[in-house]
Amino acid sequence: MNREQGRAEALFMPRSFTTTESNLTGSWRYMRPRFEEKTAPCSTACPAGEDIPRIEMLTTQGAFREAWETILMENPFPAVCGRVCFHPCEGSCNRRGFDSAVAIHTMERFLADSALRNGFRSDLGKLQSWKERIAVVGAGPAGLAAASFLARLGYVVHVFESLPEPGGILRWGIPAYRLPPSALQHEIARLAGLGVEIRTDCRIDPSGLEALERDYDAVFLGCGFGKDRPLGIPGEREEGVEDGLAFLSRIRGGASPRLEGVSVVVGGGNSAVDVARTVVRLGGRAVIAYRRRRQDMPAFDEELQMALEEGIELQELLAPAGIERRDGKLAVTFRRMKISGEDADGRGRIVPDGEAKLEIEADRLFTAAGAGVAEDWHRPPQEETGLIKLSHSILVAPEGRPVRAYGGDATNDVQMVVTAVASGKQAALALDVLFREGPAAIRERLAACAVGPGPSLSMEIYTGGPRKLRTRHVVLPEEINTDYFAFEPRITQPRLLVEERSRSFSEIDLKISAGLAIREAGRCFNCGICNGCDNCYLFCPDVSIARGHEGEDRRINYDYCKGCGLCVVECPRNAMTLEGKS
Amino acid sequence: MHLDVLDQELMCSGHVGCPGCGATIAMRFFLKALGEKTVMVLPACCWSVIAGPYPQSTLKIPVIHSAFETGGATASGVRAALDMRGDKDTTVVTWAGDGGTFDIGFQALSGAVERNEDFIYVCYDNEAYMNTGIQRSSSTPYGAWTTTTPGTDWKRLRKKNIVEALVAHRIPYAATANIAFPEDLVRKARKAKSIKGSKFLHIFASCPTGWRIPSEMSIKIARMAVQTNIFPLYEVEDGVRYTINYKPREYLVREYFKLQGRFRHLTDQDLDAIQEMVNEDWQLLLRKAGEHA
Repeated sequence: MNREQGRAEALFMPRSFTTTESNLTGSWRYMRPRFEEKTAPCSTACPAGEDIPRIEMLTTQGAFREAWETILMENPFPAVCGRVCFHPCEGSCNRRGFDSAVAIHTMERFLADSALRNGFRSDLGKLQSWKERIAVVGAGPAGLAAASFLARLGYVVHVFESLPEPGGILRWGIPAYRLPPSALQHEIARLAGLGVEIRTDCRIDPSGLEALERDYDAVFLGCGFGKDRPLGIPGEREEGVEDGLAFLSRIRGGASPRLEGVSVVVGGGNSAVDVARTVVRLGGRAVIAYRRRRQDMPAFDEELQMALEEGIELQELLAPAGIERRDGKLAVTFRRMKISGEDADGRGRIVPDGEAKLEIEADRLFTAAGAGVAEDWHRPPQEETGLIKLSHSILVAPEGRPVRAYGGDATNDVQMVVTAVASGKQAALALDVLFREGPAAIRERLAACAVGPGPSLSMEIYTGGPRKLRTRHVVLPEEINTDYFAFEPRITQPRLLVEERSRSFSEIDLKISAGLAIREAGRCFNCGICNGCDNCYLFCPDVSIARGHEGEDRRINYDYCKGCGLCVVECPRNAMTLEGKS
Repeated sequence: MHLDVLDQELMCSGHVGCPGCGATIAMRFFLKALGEKTVMVLPACCWSVIAGPYPQSTLKIPVIHSAFETGGATASGVRAALDMRGDKDTTVVTWAGDGGTFDIGFQALSGAVERNEDFIYVCYDNEAYMNTGIQRSSSTPYGAWTTTTPGTDWKRLRKKNIVEALVAHRIPYAATANIAFPEDLVRKARKAKSIKGSKFLHIFASCPTGWRIPSEMSIKIARMAVQTNIFPLYEVEDGVRYTINYKPREYLVREYFKLQGRFRHLTDQDLDAIQEMVNEDWQLLLRKAGEHA
């Protein structure tokens, strides 16, 4: 066979010359996937509504400045809250059921420290300018938060503080070993950058308040709980008996007395523990006497545990009954209590254990059994024309008269730093709605910027940022695809040794490295938000998820998507939804 | 998940694979790893259909459709032709289903690897003749329903261990892979490409239609096959050096079985028996890899 013949008789092989892309297989679809970001449980548990899954995602990427600014968007005080917040976020972390909660507060503190060390400046400035002027009475966490949000929303804000330095409980109550002064100073300094003017040593009294109402369009009162409640027992005015908050304030003011002998601290909250630990640092012995049991104490258990390690003694089920001054010492009589049934809040109900009594001889006694307003007019009215009661704040806006807003401890059910921040934020947003749209719009506008089911509010949602696209659905643990996560122990907070910490007021919790922070942030499931993991894109059998270059959004090409739903199931964090699934 | 592969897509949308098809996912990862200098031989299998009817093609590389039993032989010929043209860069791949590998194409495969032809033979395994209507193959696992093992006559024979059959040929490289473990799959595809001689990849590819599972569970179930030790991830070099790539948490096999309609009829007793078989196979593999349980 010659060459020509061979060619003529060559096997005919048909060759395809076009692609299958003319078949629009999207017509097969009866379920429809889409990208839909949702709400993380931590962010709705955070009274300040911080965007925690995004903060952790940015931290994982090493974008510390952006992560820090994401906190600032919702909470002006990350250096404070990273240290002293009771972090309800961690209590609702979806990772708890997997291994243990992400150390969210440690990340917050780390980002705040990084911002300080690297001199990060925030781009969160004034959004616009309005003519209204607002006075804030009290430079505690509520007042300063209100001032910060109001300034960003465009108002002229002046803060009036009776003490020589701003900060309230942060400056004068919480000991330096938990919140060093430098951490607070930088947070407050940022307010000046927003144009907030703080006038210290400027005590406001009822007539001063009236004057403020003449000069300003609104007054925010965040005066806090400045005074310990009296115990209501004989001998309370004896020499050697002191108000715990006043004592802490004296120490934070620079006093450093030697406290030889035994100090009894009456109470079970954080103030009681702070007083006792301060006593130890001043060379004394401290006994905390509490009416209920350890498990009923409102103090953070971790703080109490450290206090016990530092040598503080805890006496449970002791209710103070009387104080006598004898031979230069105090004889403190307690009634022994016992548990009988349960209180409405689930704690054991206490009743006197017969006539049993106990006497403790002490050199001094500090009262720290709950605090209240220092002056009656700090308390919001219960009924008044134009009164609007919100979850964390109260507005009094009678027509044609100056507006007054109340926030902080006096309007909060839970007296914590972050709830004070939340109340300042809520009042600021409510005042903005009031001035711009009128009182009738307040509830609806605030509800529209709630994080998940609320009551936490988001400034980002309020100002129309991308977070508003997320749904209210709070991601459940079973909606996380845990096949994409490995067990990883939670970071252990490095601390001063007990010997070091009981001798000084140095900060106990030490800094962590960037490497550790990135690893801990990497434990976060990033519930409900897309972190660009690309599972949807990679697993799509129909090549119908398009992905742009770095940072660009992913898109579903519905011309070809057959609706198999793989992308939704393989999304580790429930940032996608399958519609039409029965 | 970060996959260090080409952004380039060598597979097109618009193919007629069933929703959630594991075989298409396997192809996509494999081609992203191998790149466009690849010639693919497709003996009869699901992919003969997915690759598109004339004049369409789903793949942006040369594809040769061949007869069911000729995967190994056709690839040998393509390799010889490329060698004659001096083309050493192009990788020749046979992409066959379990029917074309375990049963009908076995002699051509055995012959080609015995000659140590320089090509990669990929078996994407969906455990039955799926595109012809779910008939059982020698890859169908013990306990499965198919249209030829219906009702109470479900398959009571074990799945053929195809990797061991290939390992017995002492080929340079044989490995298992799974669509739910893309990093591992991509690494093995690249490794196979870098080795001269016959390479065999056994890729587990779930089939929503034949396994009676919801399409969105296709990856999840493929992953569970590894997590339960039903389909361990391992590789064997030169027929002797075993490496186990993934040590699972060892979920119970019943977790895998209860999600699939094809196993719905199995009783607790059956599942216990299957668990025994899986444990036995795993112990055997550990011994071959020189590891102790």
